Amino acid sequence: MFLTRSEYDRGVSTFSPEGRLFQVEYSSEAIKLGSTAIGIATSEGIVLGVEKRITSTLLVPESIEKIMEIDSHIGCAMSGLTADARSMVEHARVSAVSHNLYFDEPMAIESLTQSVCDLALRFGEGASGEEERLMSRPFGVALLIGGFDKLKGYQLYHAEPSGTFYQFKAKAIGSGSEGAQSELQNIYRNDLTLIEAEKIVLKILKQVMEEKLDSTNAQLCTITKESGYKVFNEEETKKIVDIIYEEDEEEKKRQEQEEQDEEDEDEDEDEDEDMN
Amino acid sequence: MNHDPYSWGRPSDAMYGQYNNAIANAPNTLEHHSSGSNFNENTTRPIVTGTSVIAIKYKTGVVIAADNLASYGSLLRFQGIERLHKVGKTTVVGISGDVSDMQHLLTILDQLEMENNYDNDEYSDNVDELQPSYIFEYLANLMYHRRSKMNPLWNALIVSGVDSKTGKPFLEYVNLLGVKYASPSIATGFGSHLAIPLLRKLADSEEEAAELTLEQAKKGIKDSMKVLFYRDTRSSKNYSLAVIDKDTGIAYDNNVDVEDMSWKFAKDITGYGTQRV
Amino acid sequence: MSPQHGSQPIQHQFNPYSDNGGTLLGIAGEDFAILASDTRQSVDYSINTRLSHKIKVISPPVTKEMKLESTDIVGTKNSVLFGTNGFSADGDALTKAFEENWKWYVHDQNSNVETGFEFLNENNEEKESFMSMQSAARNVQHLLYGKRFFPYYVHTILAGLDEEGKGCVYSFDPVGSYEREQCRVGGAGASLIMPFLDNQVNFKNQYIPGTNSTERRKIEYLSLDECLKLVKDAFTSVTERHITVGDGLEIFIIDKNGVRSEYHALKKD
Repeated sequence: MFLTRSEYDRGVSTFSPEGRLFQVEYSSEAIKLGSTAIGIATSEGIVLGVEKRITSTLLVPESIEKIMEIDSHIGCAMSGLTADARSMVEHARVSAVSHNLYFDEPMAIESLTQSVCDLALRFGEGASGEEERLMSRPFGVALLIGGFDKLKGYQLYHAEPSGTFYQFKAKAIGSGSEGAQSELQNIYRNDLTLIEAEKIVLKILKQVMEEKLDSTNAQLCTITKESGYKVFNEEETKKIVDIIYEEDEEEKKRQEQEEQDEEDEDEDEDEDEDMN
Repeated sequence: MNHDPYSWGRPSDAMYGQYNNAIANAPNTLEHHSSGSNFNENTTRPIVTGTSVIAIKYKTGVVIAADNLASYGSLLRFQGIERLHKVGKTTVVGISGDVSDMQHLLTILDQLEMENNYDNDEYSDNVDELQPSYIFEYLANLMYHRRSKMNPLWNALIVSGVDSKTGKPFLEYVNLLGVKYASPSIATGFGSHLAIPLLRKLADSEEEAAELTLEQAKKGIKDSMKVLFYRDTRSSKNYSLAVIDKDTGIAYDNNVDVEDMSWKFAKDITGYGTQRV
Repeated sequence: MSPQHGSQPIQHQFNPYSDNGGTLLGIAGEDFAILASDTRQSVDYSINTRLSHKIKVISPPVTKEMKLESTDIVGTKNSVLFGTNGFSADGDALTKAFEENWKWYVHDQNSNVETGFEFLNENNEEKESFMSMQSAARNVQHLLYGKRFFPYYVHTILAGLDEEGKGCVYSFDPVGSYEREQCRVGGAGASLIMPFLDNQVNFKNQYIPGTNSTERRKIEYLSLDECLKLVKDAFTSVTERHITVGDGLEIFIIDKNGVRSEYHALKKD
């Protein structure tokens, strides 16, 4: 009895006998289908980057918006059902603006993240009837929220559909997240510069994307103390993409050269052996 | 029969026909009340009233007094209305002003005490016993809340007692506006003009009140009640007196009379009314 | 007699306000701020009490270490000195409402999550955040304006240290207009003391001798002792001339060491 999942994955607010909320767990699965999004926190600023899936040559790439401004000091990148993110971002923007109105200061990144996560569990039926209920199902989207505040400096948070959030130095979400996250783990240093981080984000996206990376199918933004939220235009992205390909080219040449050298050496060795 | 209080004492329409309001431009109060306007009528003036409550702190407690009279304007309407009320084990609340509002407050205080008793009987430890400060805070919030709804309880309250944990005397005031204060001696109404000068002579600061004996405090209150009876036309000779002491608890006497009065001066007063001398 | 008389009901309106007198005064110094008030509460010609408190120190917990430094500390340097003057019931209610907001703010800012990575934070000497004076002032504006059509009948003054550690005073009208100032007096004695402070703190109408009143005396910060002298002089003077001011003077001083308070007797007549 009750051994299969399907018994308990209908109601959004019903625990399974093992104590799991399947609908919430499934919502995390939805994110694994989404496009990859990467965020890095450095001591010079936050970088967020996303992959844009150009499903048709007739699609206008600029119309895909997966990086959004929450306030002048906070940005977010998303993966999953991006339509769900609109209500989260709207809530976040309202929170940030009203905090600024009521307290005459930019909202702290952690508080902002918390206020977005407060939304996440308002599905199903509220304890006091229908009034608290906002949605019929959990969110199908995860957010990377990054920004600067005077309290804790640069911070990057990952907000899950379950309503929990964690702080990260670097985080990848979406379909390519497994590979991307291990790559981030290898590459991350505390003394990364913003420029380095920008390149890292695009480089990792290039590795995990199915399509070939170019200046239209990826987007970057940075958040710094000095100039706040800045989203990259195609030209700016292209500069970095070009550098990456140039470096790849050089790397390839270098490797070929090395292989050549090795072969030469081998040949030399062979010759030596022959000599002997 | 028409049960509307606004019709009381008026000639009945059935017998005499409807009253002609055109005569002498008489106000049609009945119409104003029952049909024409739909005012939300809150208390805008007190009707049956109790006069001053007075109280003073002494070394180990508080003495509080109020007379037993409820007036209807200048009519001495009810002569056995007690205006000091025990709440919990160490608190006495004295209430002046509108008597019906006072009685409303009493039902609330009764409920408060009853609910506290459920949680705090002999089977549970007494950590949450009602203290004077709790009762005061509750009443002060209630009074301010009602005034903010523009529907005040037309009273001035004095909450007196001792904190059963610290043994410290407690005395605070709150009125229909939600204005509150603490002082070594407090009086409402006429008492604030007639009794306070006498009581402040006994103790004008917390330090001085902490030196005062029960006898001194009691005498101060009794003398003040006498002055109030002399001078306040809405006061009565018969009053209630409560002593709340940290060691002996509440001693409450609801039948004290003003003593040692001298009305000799009265015969020398001339110039009023029909006196010709 | 007017034709209306008698034909129309006279509306007796309950007056939800009273004037409880008293005076409130704030001065900001270079690295300190003062908030002071008398302790009398009165109504009409009666003195309700000689010891009421118009100023509340809203402070993070005072630690044992701070008590060791000086025993009379009643608040930390992150405190907000919150003073109201006018209708005391509204003053108490406003103080309570602000205190509540202040506590919620602290909870929201310092939630369970650890502080950010040290290296990511440039100015991380402070592990905890308490409401800045600027934020406190903005919040009070909303509390006051929220009751725009049934105002809190009070003159509000906030004193504390700003984010650079400089003394600051914010003053409010009953419906929330506010301004940061070097000094401000509110309440019954305002019209008597404010001109005195204009002259003594902001050096208004002070000219350099021999310049034929053409060169103003340059503004400079007053020392704490000078400020305290001004406060005491102001209150003893206004006690002489205003009936609702007297009994006692309560002074709160905030600086980098925290908040101290002083009490001085005033005339009780």
